[in-house]
Amino acid sequence: MTKREKRLLLVAAVVGVAAVAAALVLTALNSAVAYFYTPSDLQKLEKTPVGLIRLGGLVAPGSVKFAEGRETEVNFVIKDEFAETAVSYKGVLPDLFREGQGVIVQGKLENGRVLASEVLAKHDENYMPKEVADALKEQGRWKEGETP
Amino acid sequence: MKRLMAIFERDVTLAFRTGGGALNSVAFFALTVVIFALAIGPDRARLSESAAPILWTAATLAAMLSFDRILQADFEDGSLDALIESGDLLSLVALAKASAHWVSTLLPLILATPVLGLLLGLPAHAYFPLMASMVIGTPALSLFGALASALALSLRRASMLITILTAPLLTPAIIFGVAAANAGARGDALFGPALMLLAAMTLFGVLVTPAATAAAIRFNTD
Amino acid sequence: MHNLANPQRFEKLAIRLTPLLSIAAGVTALFGLYYALFNSPADYQQGESVRIMYVHVPAAWMALMCYSTMAIASGVGFIWKHPLADVTAKSTAPIGAAFTFLALVTGSIWGKPMWGTWWAWDARLTSVLILFFLYLGYIALWSAIDDKTRAAKVAAIACLVGFINIPIIKFSVDWWNSLHQPASVLRGGGPTIHQSMLTPLLLMGIAYGLTFAALLLISMRAELAERRIARLEQSARAPSKAMIL
Repeated sequence: MTKREKRLLLVAAVVGVAAVAAALVLTALNSAVAYFYTPSDLQKLEKTPVGLIRLGGLVAPGSVKFAEGRETEVNFVIKDEFAETAVSYKGVLPDLFREGQGVIVQGKLENGRVLASEVLAKHDENYMPKEVADALKEQGRWKEGETP
Repeated sequence: MKRLMAIFERDVTLAFRTGGGALNSVAFFALTVVIFALAIGPDRARLSESAAPILWTAATLAAMLSFDRILQADFEDGSLDALIESGDLLSLVALAKASAHWVSTLLPLILATPVLGLLLGLPAHAYFPLMASMVIGTPALSLFGALASALALSLRRASMLITILTAPLLTPAIIFGVAAANAGARGDALFGPALMLLAAMTLFGVLVTPAATAAAIRFNTD
Repeated sequence: MHNLANPQRFEKLAIRLTPLLSIAAGVTALFGLYYALFNSPADYQQGESVRIMYVHVPAAWMALMCYSTMAIASGVGFIWKHPLADVTAKSTAPIGAAFTFLALVTGSIWGKPMWGTWWAWDARLTSVLILFFLYLGYIALWSAIDDKTRAAKVAAIACLVGFINIPIIKFSVDWWNSLHQPASVLRGGGPTIHQSMLTPLLLMGIAYGLTFAALLLISMRAELAERRIARLEQSARAPSKAMIL
């Protein structure tokens, strides 16, 4: 091989490696490495995951039920567009926890119900004063959880 | 090409001959795993859950401690200068040295992994995904390690600095490595997207570190 | 830019600019804080806690900007050998590390009431923590190598390789399902933050930026002075050699 051919080979190798790396990253990002599962993800899983899992979604309206007389024992349902999963939790809920709110719970999956050891509230990228939020909702232009 | 092979063979041979340097890494790896296991306690379920992260972490720590060997000895006895003068592309020399480090230090660790997995109660179906993730991901350790070793070339007792420099760059390898091993053990197709990101990281290392290592060697030797 | 290649000329300019920038930073910060604390609405979801945003988000912006500044300065140092490039990069690092630390701490304080946890290992938080360690590694490398010209080149390589983390931080919230919310200001389709909250946020952003500029000039002058002292000491130790040269 002449020097020129060697150099060409090197350039080709670099371009090739870069292309494969980029392709891998793009494919991987398409299937999203999740910090959490969604209820539909759980439904699609063939095997029940062992150990701690994280589940994220919206708290289904009307599903939050506290154990009688106690504020630290609660059952609720997390839903996404297609599926729902029931959650039980003992402990203090974060301030942002409410019906319709995005939450992430961590816990064990048993018989289709997540026994949560931790409940985290996720807030979205929308920031606005309460009056504006109310006005937008009243006009039907916007719902909580979506981008205006 | 022939000369690069010669550099590679020389480095591998030296690593195994000089005072068992490479085998010391295996001993360190095994001891770290044992310490982790003792610290976690005899709970079998917890141990087997933590097996993949422990093995990945211990392998990374063992690798970090060996990074300063990649170039330091050659720098001290002057053979690095000879390599610079030899007319081979210095980036390719750096690549050869990183590969030699992988074969002499990390490959033995991967081969020792099944035995240690046994101690940690790693489930049978989890061995292959764990070792596959290590084979695909650990070359990145050697590549970035060679770079850090070149950056710290002019310093004596650089291993602490090398650890500080490489740790932030290597955390993604541990994160994706463990995630891929767990995904594989769970039975996800292709060990989930984590394995692709791990492979991408190794390829990114192949792409970027040889030139950066070569530049750092030049700056530190002129 | 080439006028600034002469360190003396740079010093003159820096001496004049530093008080101006400091005063401007102070005034903007006062206005920004007034808006942020007293003259902006509570959030419809987060209530009053949203005010932490006005110190947290600009700190995070600066954390990314300082690293980008370092990377650009390192690149300029390589290509054009501008004499102030490595001084800029070196002086930016501690400031950037401080902003990153501030972003982590204020984020943690914000996360406790909102998310319900001080810390979560999600992609955004983890990648910012890694950024903090990259800053520390960069600073450690500079202080470990005595020869300044060598340290400059070697640290520049480390800085440029670490730059890969910056796009990862920026896009981590879009690529992964993270606990951290997605971008609100710099995003396609315009900001998703109400004008009454965007104004104080941008004011605070400008205040942080001006603070950074003032601090950078001060620490660059300190670095230049330190180098002058080192040179003088060297020539004092070997007077004959200096005379021959």
